[in-house]
Amino acid sequence: MSAVSTGTGPLLEVDGLGVHYAATVALHDVSFAVDRGELVAVIGPNGAGKSTMFKAICGLVNHQGVVEVNGVHCHDRTDRMDLAYIPQRNDNDLHFPITVGELVMAGRRRFRHWWQRSSSADRAAAESALARVRLSGTADRALTELSGGQLQRAYVARALAQEASVVLLDEALSGVDQPTTLELLDVFRSLADEGTTIIVATHDLALARRRFSRCIAVNGTLRGDGAPGEVLSSDVLDATFGSASFVSGGPDALAD
Amino acid sequence: MHWLTDPFQAEFMQRAFIAAVITGVVAPVVGTWVVLRRMANLGDAMSHGTLAGVGIAYAAGASVVVGALGAGLVMAVLLLVFSGNRRLGQETVIAVLGTAFFALGVVVISRVDAGVELTHFLFGRVLTVTWADVWLNLALGTAAVLAVALLFGELRLATFDHVQAEQVGVRVELVQGVLVMLLAVVVVISLRSVGIVMAVTMLVTPAATARLLARTLRQMTLLAVAFGVTEAVGGLILSYHLGSAPGATIGLVSAAGFAVVFGLTLPRRMPHHHRPLA
Repeated sequence: MSAVSTGTGPLLEVDGLGVHYAATVALHDVSFAVDRGELVAVIGPNGAGKSTMFKAICGLVNHQGVVEVNGVHCHDRTDRMDLAYIPQRNDNDLHFPITVGELVMAGRRRFRHWWQRSSSADRAAAESALARVRLSGTADRALTELSGGQLQRAYVARALAQEASVVLLDEALSGVDQPTTLELLDVFRSLADEGTTIIVATHDLALARRRFSRCIAVNGTLRGDGAPGEVLSSDVLDATFGSASFVSGGPDALAD
Repeated sequence: MHWLTDPFQAEFMQRAFIAAVITGVVAPVVGTWVVLRRMANLGDAMSHGTLAGVGIAYAAGASVVVGALGAGLVMAVLLLVFSGNRRLGQETVIAVLGTAFFALGVVVISRVDAGVELTHFLFGRVLTVTWADVWLNLALGTAAVLAVALLFGELRLATFDHVQAEQVGVRVELVQGVLVMLLAVVVVISLRSVGIVMAVTMLVTPAATARLLARTLRQMTLLAVAFGVTEAVGGLILSYHLGSAPGATIGLVSAAGFAVVFGLTLPRRMPHHHRPLA
């Protein structure tokens, strides 16, 4: 259950992933592999299947294809405890009477049975997770007392307390201001440097280019995968978004 | 002081007092989760629908407790079956099932009884509670409170974020199933005290009142119990002096408690203060 990989292959491997909703094909034949410590941006227009892809990887929707974490084939949700998923605008009631500390402790549930109480080791892990996302001292706060960026970091802390090797964040950078975005990216970068793999769905192509080590383009299927410089080219952007011209000045504007 | 103690000179009022206290503790403990999970509708439908089991058991001369629990189980299963239909919202399915079961109960009881017993089931008959009823309610109530205490952590995880909860090993659907069965237990306990119709009041109103004040889950549960017991006993005393129906009087006192707390906390809630940390 340690966050340290025991396998020699990639940390997360997705092969032939597909999702159908009734007669609609939401996602088709997506394959990629991600290594430890990668900071990956997933790009694509609205309705491209980014959220569907995250949900399929986490086993939240029925899917075709194979998901492997640390070389282990995932059959159901319990095989995926090494993954943490932070949904887009998640539908959690922020007025629910739960403190930041209790939120982060939810990640520790993985390490005990339902009848067991949390241990002092659990509390230490939760505190250390809060410290890593720079939220020390907030454990007793209510969720409504956090700003949007702080809340996102609290969810990341929960993923860290879960000792997840891979954290999937859907639109984590939407609806937050520029300083918060940069603050979140700093946290993601430092976690990636420590070996956690971070995969973020984002609409901000300029950030994807500058602040991520890898870019995956999705629209119904995989449209591009590689270094941001390669993926954010006019060919891939055309295939992903229909036209690269939506970026004022064309894709060249994404260059540093 | 006599105004408070006089009603309990007679033994039937002492039994009524104990029955009211048990309802006042157990219903809010379960109700806290009903309110937090926004299941008040389900609680309402379950309590009404339980009449089907009660009626069938009564007509057959069997235990109404077993009948009530059976109806709760059948409703829970049917709810799972029908809520798979995406064209209908779950609240629609809940309303259809609840009213159907309620109607079935009324039809069955009205064929064997002129209406007295139906009124007792609907509005309780706390003044005729027997010691056997008291012991049964105590046993069921203790089991329900213990179940909530044991599942407290799981309920918290499953209620706040069921997606993450499942990911870290919580059996979310099982937790939900247990809670639905606890609803049926609360209805059974309420049957003799406040009645089926007023069971929802004790389930939802004290917990909703506590929700307005509490910061933490523990606080909310304890406050809900404090409101529940005070309102159940207060309503009983008031009904003695007014000569009014005990179940409905308890319901009114509970609603009054909610109204007062709602009014007092209004200034605090009006300007939404989301204070970001410095």
